Amino acid sequence: MSAVSQYVEEYRTIGAALPGGHLPWLRELRERALTQFSAGGFPSPREEEWKYTNISTIEKKRFRPLPISEPSAAVESWLKNYELEDVWRLVLVDGRVAADRCRLDGMPDGMIVCGLAEALTKYPNLVQSHLGLAAGRENHGFIHFNTAFFSDGAFVRAPGGQALPKKPLQIIYLNSRPESLATVRNLIIVEPNAALELVETYAGADEQSYLSAAVTEVSIGENAALDLYKLQSESTKAFHFGGTYVQQARSARFRHYNFSFGGLLVRNEVHTELGHAAECLLYGLFLAFGRQHVDNHTLIHHAQPFGISREIYKGILDQRARGVFQGRIVVHQDAQKTDAEMSNRNLLLSENAEIDTKPQLEIYADDVKCGHGVTVGQLDENSVFFLQTRGIEEQAARTMLTFAFANEMVDRIRLDGLRGSVQAQLLALFSKANLHQEWL
Amino acid sequence: MLTIENLHVRVDGKAILQGINLEVKAGEVHAIMGPNGSGKSTLSHVLAGREGYEVTSGSVTYAGKNLLDMPPEQRAREGVFLAFQYPVEIPGVSNIYLLKAALNAMRRHRGQSELDALDFLQLIKEKIKLVEMDEQLLYRSVNQGFSGGEKKRNEILQMAVLEPRLCILDETDSGLDIDALKVVADGVNSLRTNDRAFILVTHYQRLLNYVRPDYVHVLVHGKIAKSGDADLALELEEKGYGWIERQTAAEDAA
Amino acid sequence: MAASAEKLERLISQEYKQGFVTDLETDSLPPGLSEDVVRAISAKKDEPEFMLEWRLQAYRHWLTMKEPKWAFVHYGPIDYQAISYYSAPKEGGDKPKSLGEVDPKLLETYNKLGIPLYEQERLAGVAVDAVFDSVSVATTFKAKLAAAGVIFCSMSEAIRKYPQLVQQYLGSVVPPGDNFFAALNSAVFSDGSFVFIPKGVRCPMELSTYFRINAANTGQFERTLIIAEEHSHVSYLEGCTAPMRDENQLHAAVVELVALENAEIKYSTVQNWYPGDEEGRGGIYNFVTKRGDCRGANAKISWTQVETGSAITWKYPSVVLRGDNAIGEFYSVAVTNHRQQADTGTKMIHVGKNTRSTILSKGISAGHAQNTYRGLVKVLKGAENARNYTQCDSLLIGDKCGAHTFPYVEVRQPSARVEHEATTSKISEDQLFFCTQRGISAEDAVSMIVNGFCKQVFKELPMEFAVEAQALLGISLEGSVG
Repeated sequence: MSAVSQYVEEYRTIGAALPGGHLPWLRELRERALTQFSAGGFPSPREEEWKYTNISTIEKKRFRPLPISEPSAAVESWLKNYELEDVWRLVLVDGRVAADRCRLDGMPDGMIVCGLAEALTKYPNLVQSHLGLAAGRENHGFIHFNTAFFSDGAFVRAPGGQALPKKPLQIIYLNSRPESLATVRNLIIVEPNAALELVETYAGADEQSYLSAAVTEVSIGENAALDLYKLQSESTKAFHFGGTYVQQARSARFRHYNFSFGGLLVRNEVHTELGHAAECLLYGLFLAFGRQHVDNHTLIHHAQPFGISREIYKGILDQRARGVFQGRIVVHQDAQKTDAEMSNRNLLLSENAEIDTKPQLEIYADDVKCGHGVTVGQLDENSVFFLQTRGIEEQAARTMLTFAFANEMVDRIRLDGLRGSVQAQLLALFSKANLHQEWL
Repeated sequence: MLTIENLHVRVDGKAILQGINLEVKAGEVHAIMGPNGSGKSTLSHVLAGREGYEVTSGSVTYAGKNLLDMPPEQRAREGVFLAFQYPVEIPGVSNIYLLKAALNAMRRHRGQSELDALDFLQLIKEKIKLVEMDEQLLYRSVNQGFSGGEKKRNEILQMAVLEPRLCILDETDSGLDIDALKVVADGVNSLRTNDRAFILVTHYQRLLNYVRPDYVHVLVHGKIAKSGDADLALELEEKGYGWIERQTAAEDAA
Repeated sequence: MAASAEKLERLISQEYKQGFVTDLETDSLPPGLSEDVVRAISAKKDEPEFMLEWRLQAYRHWLTMKEPKWAFVHYGPIDYQAISYYSAPKEGGDKPKSLGEVDPKLLETYNKLGIPLYEQERLAGVAVDAVFDSVSVATTFKAKLAAAGVIFCSMSEAIRKYPQLVQQYLGSVVPPGDNFFAALNSAVFSDGSFVFIPKGVRCPMELSTYFRINAANTGQFERTLIIAEEHSHVSYLEGCTAPMRDENQLHAAVVELVALENAEIKYSTVQNWYPGDEEGRGGIYNFVTKRGDCRGANAKISWTQVETGSAITWKYPSVVLRGDNAIGEFYSVAVTNHRQQADTGTKMIHVGKNTRSTILSKGISAGHAQNTYRGLVKVLKGAENARNYTQCDSLLIGDKCGAHTFPYVEVRQPSARVEHEATTSKISEDQLFFCTQRGISAEDAVSMIVNGFCKQVFKELPMEFAVEAQALLGISLEGSVG
């Protein structure tokens, strides 16, 4: 039996127990997604947008949705690695909210942070009006799979019209069991004029193989702002699909910081559609070693005039790793005065590493300023030489410059606590690749 | 040479010029001063024929002809020159080629033969001395990678080569250090003749220390609020635009 | 401002001047494609058995293939059975032995196109092969070239006279099954040019082929093969035009270049196939496979193209940089107006060590046209110190057209350096106003700006072609000053 039909079969047994079973519209949404998934299956490299990523190994594995059970005791110690100070925290373990590990006290009036399953009971109308909205434009197997199977997720609403205390929200998604499947669906609603800082951390138990398939839908209201940090530190044997789909209303601002360090086979998607004079900023840093495969897929729709987008993705590939960057900017006919820039810079550190990059501009308006740039290459020899003339050994100089190449993205993080934590992880990765950092 | 009568202009439906009257005779230098947003640049753009400006009433007569009827290139060929506040970059088109194309268009219009390459080069070398510009800049793309000062000198060079009858300088002095300002002023002074007129649009009095105007007009809210001689500029420098604005407001109230 | 956008569009619109039809009796095959048609073409050409076998294999392979759909172009289905695969001007008995025996109407056609075939009327130093519908009608300067050891003749002649060379090289760069259109071409190609430059020879003159589609409802499937042996050098030019017809016509050519050690091939194209009218009726479907193989060390292949014609263009002149230190270059200006669609670019495949490639692409899009750059830079594992620099610029004129840039960069070698830059801009109102304020007419200002935009590519064309290319864009020649 194929993986797809096995999952479809599985749905027949567990479907009724999935959250929101009492809501006819949701049952219908799931059924429809299941039909699409069963017809199309998971994406294949024959599709242009999946050209460089073959996910057949995911199909060969049989990941099982887990029944609700008590998280293992080790969870506590793993969480410690990722918990930030001075934040509100929502924790999901194995695809479900772990209530006793959350810290959500003292939230302002109107602000909602809870599990999606809970929200489906408490705020069904609010969920109904947003679920499937931003992801509705997307059409591939992982989206349908997630819609049919999601077990829980984060539900966040930042209310507009009042000053929120400047305290970030952290959501941790932890996978604790081998061969398990975590399908979370997140809904982030930032109401007009509100501002929110959100940190998503994806992590798992070391050396365990599991599939984390997350879909995050974001709606940013008029003149509202969202800073969204995604830190992907899955286990080195894990499979990760994480799609973030955003709708930005007039003058809405969206900043996304995408740090992808873990996982064996990873696909990150960040898609956004900009309203009138909206701004978006997409930063990404991906590091891959061993046999890791990391695919970053970004899509920016400039649908309205005066939008501004800036995108910088950097990749470092060592050993037998393979990195992919596919960035696409579409400037629609009405989007005059669009100002868009995209850049992708990559370093290959080994004879067996590979990078495939495809930055695309698709432009249907004439009064626009668009540009993109790509480089694949080595460190700047002048800088290496300069450091050598200052007495630093060549190898140390190269390590220093490679670290600096990555750290430049880490420096852009606007939350001090998070910046320190990401930098620590980056350093740990460098030691894994036999790079030393005494000079720091 | 130039007569502006009761000129009203709208931009994007908003009234910017609201009844300008101005008479400029050959040989005169007029300075038009005013606070930001008073309509100074609009006036120079309308005279040069830029699109996007709607003349709702009034007239502009230049050398006996209706200036507003002509497309920009015809105005240029008739001798109206605008030095841009923000000189435009044209990648791939060399400076010298632009000069040659422009000069020959003028010469054809005047019924003169086109200059051959040698005569043209000689002319340019002579004119470039006037603005103390590096000759290398001639062979670079128009204004691409030029510093602010180089761009403004380049405007004056074009003016010197094209020998217009009415020169409109739109804030040519903005953003210039004192040396560049002197070069621009020297350029203007050397081109002052009895049959040529200047309109200097400027925010600051500074330029007028080097180019002494015959008349100074102060533009406030789209109208000439006050006219005088060169001393008016000094008075403005001392008292600020607020002085005129208050005076105008008081008059309006009365 | 809509007004100035319309004005701009008017300024760049030109009539298609090569759209006339030559009234000739033709020897044509009826429409349709089958093994019999393939056999008939081969028989008409008096081909040796190996050629027929080669064609039949390609045809059988083609039957198993699907038309590619990934390009960013849209057109209705092509009925491959409605096309005639062979059309030639009728000859009275034997083939013409000299230009004196060529039908005067044909000579007149080429005169009208500005390509006189009489050698004394030609600019010295350019030899021409004229291909009319399915056949080569004349090749000039053959004797002079032969003295230098250079072979320049029609493909049909080469198959008859130099079968070993053809057998050795034909399909060695673009195999018959490479892609749908290459397979179709391999089965039915009718003629084209053949060039062989022996070891150590610098070809004494520019070689040029002029392609003309004349007959209605025919496809043109020419095949060009250029072989440059060790230490040789050749510059080859290609021009294309077609009459104005309301139906679309298919042009599916294959060009193969082989450069051995230290050889250099420079291939320039000015493509001006009929683009269709303003509403998008008619025009040529230009689905072409062009590929060069730098087979030896230090070999160099350079493609320069100026493309203003065709309703649809699907074409990616490529270079396989196999030899160490090999160099590949691609310089392109693609202009699309009205309803034209172009999906064009290049592929640079770095195989050898220290290989270098440069890509410079300038796309101009106006009217309702869609202009896409699609390029691949691939650096394989062994290509130590490979270098690529790519620059793609798009210029938009009017607000109903599209300009798209789809580069693919695939690198498997850590010492490689690949750089890609792209920009999109329009002729700004500021630039136009500035020029008109200096007394330059709007027409001249647009020409100047477009010419400035394309300058880096024009300078790669041989002088004579550069003039033609600029005239094609309605541009006055710059450069006499400075």
